[in-house]
Amino acid sequence: MSEKTVTLAQGTEGLFIKNQRFNTTLISFNFYLPLEKQKVAANALLPFILTSCCKAYPDFSRLNYKLNKLYGARLDASTEKFGDYQLLKMSISVINDRFAIDGESLIKQSVGLLLGLIFEPSTENGAFLTEDLEREKRKAIEHIKGEFSEKRIYAKNRLIEEMYRGKVYGLGKCGTIEDVKTITGEKLYEAWENMLKTAFVRIHVIGAAMPSGLFEEISNRFSSLDRSASINPQKSRLTEAALEHREVVEHSDITQGKLCMGFSCEMSGNDNESLPMIVTNDILGGGPYSKLFSNVREKLSLCYYCSASCVRPKGLLMIESGVEAKNCSKAEAEILNQLEELKKGEISDFEFESSIKSICDSLNTYNDSLASLDTWYTLKINNPTLYSPANIAEKIKGLTKQDIIAAANGITLHTVYKLLPKEKN
Amino acid sequence: MKRELFQSDIGESYVKAELSSGLKIYILEKPQYNSSYAVFGTKYGSIDTCFAVNGEETTVPEGIAHFLEHKLFESEDGDAFTKYAKTGAYANAFTSFDRTCYLFSCSDKFYENLDILLSFVQSPYFTKETVEKEQGIIGQEIRMYDDSPAWRVMFNMLMAMYHNHPVRIDIAGTVDSIAQIDYELLYKCYNTFYNPANMFICIAGNVDTEKVLKQIKASVKATEPVMLERINTPEPNEIVNPYVSQKLAVAQPMFCFGFKEAIKTPERSIKSKICTALLIEILAGDASPLYKKLTTEGLINDEFSSEYFNGNGYACVIFEGESKNPQRVAEEIKAEVERLKLEGIDKKLFSAVRCSMYGNAIRLFDSVEGIAMQFIDCAMNDSGLFDDIKYLRSLTAEDVYKRLLKLDIENTVLSVIEPLEDA
Repeated sequence: MSEKTVTLAQGTEGLFIKNQRFNTTLISFNFYLPLEKQKVAANALLPFILTSCCKAYPDFSRLNYKLNKLYGARLDASTEKFGDYQLLKMSISVINDRFAIDGESLIKQSVGLLLGLIFEPSTENGAFLTEDLEREKRKAIEHIKGEFSEKRIYAKNRLIEEMYRGKVYGLGKCGTIEDVKTITGEKLYEAWENMLKTAFVRIHVIGAAMPSGLFEEISNRFSSLDRSASINPQKSRLTEAALEHREVVEHSDITQGKLCMGFSCEMSGNDNESLPMIVTNDILGGGPYSKLFSNVREKLSLCYYCSASCVRPKGLLMIESGVEAKNCSKAEAEILNQLEELKKGEISDFEFESSIKSICDSLNTYNDSLASLDTWYTLKINNPTLYSPANIAEKIKGLTKQDIIAAANGITLHTVYKLLPKEKN
Repeated sequence: MKRELFQSDIGESYVKAELSSGLKIYILEKPQYNSSYAVFGTKYGSIDTCFAVNGEETTVPEGIAHFLEHKLFESEDGDAFTKYAKTGAYANAFTSFDRTCYLFSCSDKFYENLDILLSFVQSPYFTKETVEKEQGIIGQEIRMYDDSPAWRVMFNMLMAMYHNHPVRIDIAGTVDSIAQIDYELLYKCYNTFYNPANMFICIAGNVDTEKVLKQIKASVKATEPVMLERINTPEPNEIVNPYVSQKLAVAQPMFCFGFKEAIKTPERSIKSKICTALLIEILAGDASPLYKKLTTEGLINDEFSSEYFNGNGYACVIFEGESKNPQRVAEEIKAEVERLKLEGIDKKLFSAVRCSMYGNAIRLFDSVEGIAMQFIDCAMNDSGLFDDIKYLRSLTAEDVYKRLLKLDIENTVLSVIEPLEDA
């Protein structure tokens, strides 16, 4: 059964997913804005500053104290790239009222808190307060620096940056350190107003029961704003196939090299059309039955990990591995060789069936996790029907080897990024 | 077979059973869930490098427990991953300081998957060739960790804290130590530690307890118990070095700061662990005065975390994160410990933190994985799944204050990872 959204205001959808197995209820606000160089850093800061304080709780420490009192209600903020859009997420999850020892209404208080954080921030004269702003800017800059420390993440980010030079998808999800430094209290206030007025908004409520009056209240909040310029997210631009691939090599003080390969895929972000890519990606570099695991790792003993991942809204496939510098070319050649095998239709029944079973088994566990359900529906905004994980599992079972081979043949190498140890003199 | 039913007023219940071989089994049914999670584990980890079996003493290379974990997936009739591939389950394994666990999660064919798990963990198959092949793969895993500042900062701290205890060595060993591993040593370790009396099975999800118990009973081989003795060189109460640093390709310093505890017995009680968890939250949790001060002064960010790190023969309270000035953070933590010792525990904060931990204990039951992981702790510590809830209801601010007095600011280690000059 597919889920249905309700319209709460212009460009604002509510989705209630009834699920009675949890002791917890989750409410998430998701704002989708176009990725733009000028705005990416300020937008990215919003979920974090908004969930750190507000008019009712101007001090983050008092806010955290309140969350503790609400039986450890969890307030989460994130910013992600979703194709050519920026997704700003703010959510709260809290245990159900029946567990409260004094019979308090934990859900009602948590919802009230989240609404206050998003709609009534701690501001003065059209600007965020300097102390809050500087704190969050510092944390954002440290977060960007931190991505350099974990080389697996750094290498993947660098590959994307190189693949999408001059394109919005090449922007870092939090912008650059310089971008963050230029944010002022006024600029951030403007970004906040812009988010409320122009973003496409999706609100998820996942739990045993719909908190009474919640959608009505949200509807009133958004309807009182001028939402006439709110956006309607379109499909993102797919990655164009490169006539010839590029290679970028960098060096760092590390002991193990990182090999990251980016490919364009001919596909669409629509569920129906891009489902074969899920399986193609998985047969190539998913579970232990995959071609990369069984050949690059197990047969050649070249690495500990060699796996593929796919960003379907962008038609982007990435393969990453950690290898000795001297084995890097050998691993690269074997990865390309395995992709060629796939394109030629060399898919054993074992590989095909294992992959379908693994993907479907995993999809059928989504209903057992609030966070998985929230993420699942967050990524479904421009599909005409809101398919559930079980719906998609059924569709995947209907795919054939020919579908997988066809998808594989749309894969073209675009960029190879290598981070290698510095050569010793 | 001994068995016991445990029930809690939060609406959950589970069964603990013990076979005549000594194997412990924990099962919690979640009939409304699609998925199930199962773990087959042994009380055997990286710290078990020196032991005696029936009086005969052996020292084995560092990293062998982890190596054995990798190799156990291969049996004479093929590898376990191939078998799981036919059912669609997600399978994995991990080795830590004191345990090795093999697990799967699935939404279909649970009993077939359980058969695979029971079978491969009980069927070791090591040869010269398969051992050599694994040295290449694990060698790369070790290299990956060598480059991980988060991993290095922790192990550098443990090395500066412990003189003798093997908790100071890397879980995966070193490229040199794993080169000394051969199939005979693997069999020796397997036969010592993979004895049912030293093992446990933990299951949560959409399963039938009776059916599961019957299946396990029929599958687990009758094995004579082993007279196992873990040999630990005595560990002094004092640390080795108060400060240790390493330069790596990072953009800002990272730190790990720990209080070493003098311990009289090898294991901490469950009550003491929960009491320590409360103390850590009151001391440095996100609603504490210290957290506010460190954040406001720009000394910590969202990466800041703390834990009570303990196991057989080791215990320390650890704070870690990123900071432009790790020395200041360490000084502030020590000053806060001393302030609380003088001024006492804030009763309001105690009550809020306790409330939060109580909520988290209830939240745990939303996740079959979370329950299975908690069961592992129960098996390791001989504790109960509802112990957290029980002790959280009874512990007082006075208990936490007494616990605080044991933190010794003179017995700490600060480990720092610093950026390279040209990074």
